[in-house]
Amino acid sequence: MLQWIFGGMAGLALVWGMATGAGGQTVSAMLNAAEEAVGTGIALAGAYAFFCGMLNILRRAGTAERLGAALSPALRRLFGDGLPAEALEPVTMNLTANLLGLGNAATPMGIEAARRMGQGADAAGNALCLFLVINASSVQLLPTTVIALRTAAGSANPAGIALPALAATAVSTVVGVLCCKCAEKRR
Amino acid sequence: MNGTLCVFLLLCLGCGLIHRVPVYDAFLEGAKEGISTARRILPSLIAMLCVIRAFSSCGLMERLCALLEPAAAWAGIPKETLPLMLFKPLSGSASLAMLREILNECGPDSRAGLVASVMMGSSETVFYTCGVYLAAAGVKKSRHTIPCALAAWLAGSIAASLAVP
Repeated sequence: MLQWIFGGMAGLALVWGMATGAGGQTVSAMLNAAEEAVGTGIALAGAYAFFCGMLNILRRAGTAERLGAALSPALRRLFGDGLPAEALEPVTMNLTANLLGLGNAATPMGIEAARRMGQGADAAGNALCLFLVINASSVQLLPTTVIALRTAAGSANPAGIALPALAATAVSTVVGVLCCKCAEKRR
Repeated sequence: MNGTLCVFLLLCLGCGLIHRVPVYDAFLEGAKEGISTARRILPSLIAMLCVIRAFSSCGLMERLCALLEPAAAWAGIPKETLPLMLFKPLSGSASLAMLREILNECGPDSRAGLVASVMMGSSETVFYTCGVYLAAAGVKKSRHTIPCALAAWLAGSIAASLAVP
């Protein structure tokens, strides 16, 4: 996927630039962008490290486990009978880690959950579909990467987007879940 | 300064202190992880920013946006955020680079900058996430997963434009 985006876009831009006589301009724009990307990367690294540090305090305090325990009855209801009992724990852990923005912890848990839900079937079951859609629609309490980028860009209020972002991600998740429930009924 | 972040940081520290976490050590441990993540994404950030800049400097991005503008205007989505919206389901690093461009071009506190920031968090990299987890589950038919995930992405993008007045 990425190699098509990268190759296709770069190729198209260079061909188009040459055809319209702006080939040199396109290349120098690319080189400028490469230089600027390093600056952004460094600015991002500082803010990112700060948030990861703070989130790690939350993780060490056992917040993920407690939040998970609070969520698991609701999740059991949401997923219904299709969820194998042994998958409930990784599903809960994955969604809590996502909520807290612990991406590094969320992915291995998600993979484990998906593996336990797959069970050698040919087609994905309702529970697996729902789990994938919830993950793809993203549920995060505080979008730390975005706040870090906004800080790097010199925003007067980098965290001002926190509440609208929570609302938007809630809408996307609810729509995803409702679509799943409708698709399940249709079969 | 918005209070959300202060409350969140206080919550982190408070939880840590109550549960007797060595907060300084825990912070350093997490920060180290954050630095290595940032280092890991730097090459792809460079790659994607180059491509996106080339695409917009040769005038192709403008044409693409002009093509989609009527539909965006109808849904209330600012046209500057269209590239981000389109790339969001495809690639995390491309959308990160795209967000950076919008924040620097239009300003982080302009309407386009705010909508783009909200949009960035409203959905995940749909195809990548689904691909990884479907491979882990070992199933071949994903059934209604992709259409439902894309519906969520579309709803999130429109909600992002509505959430910023």
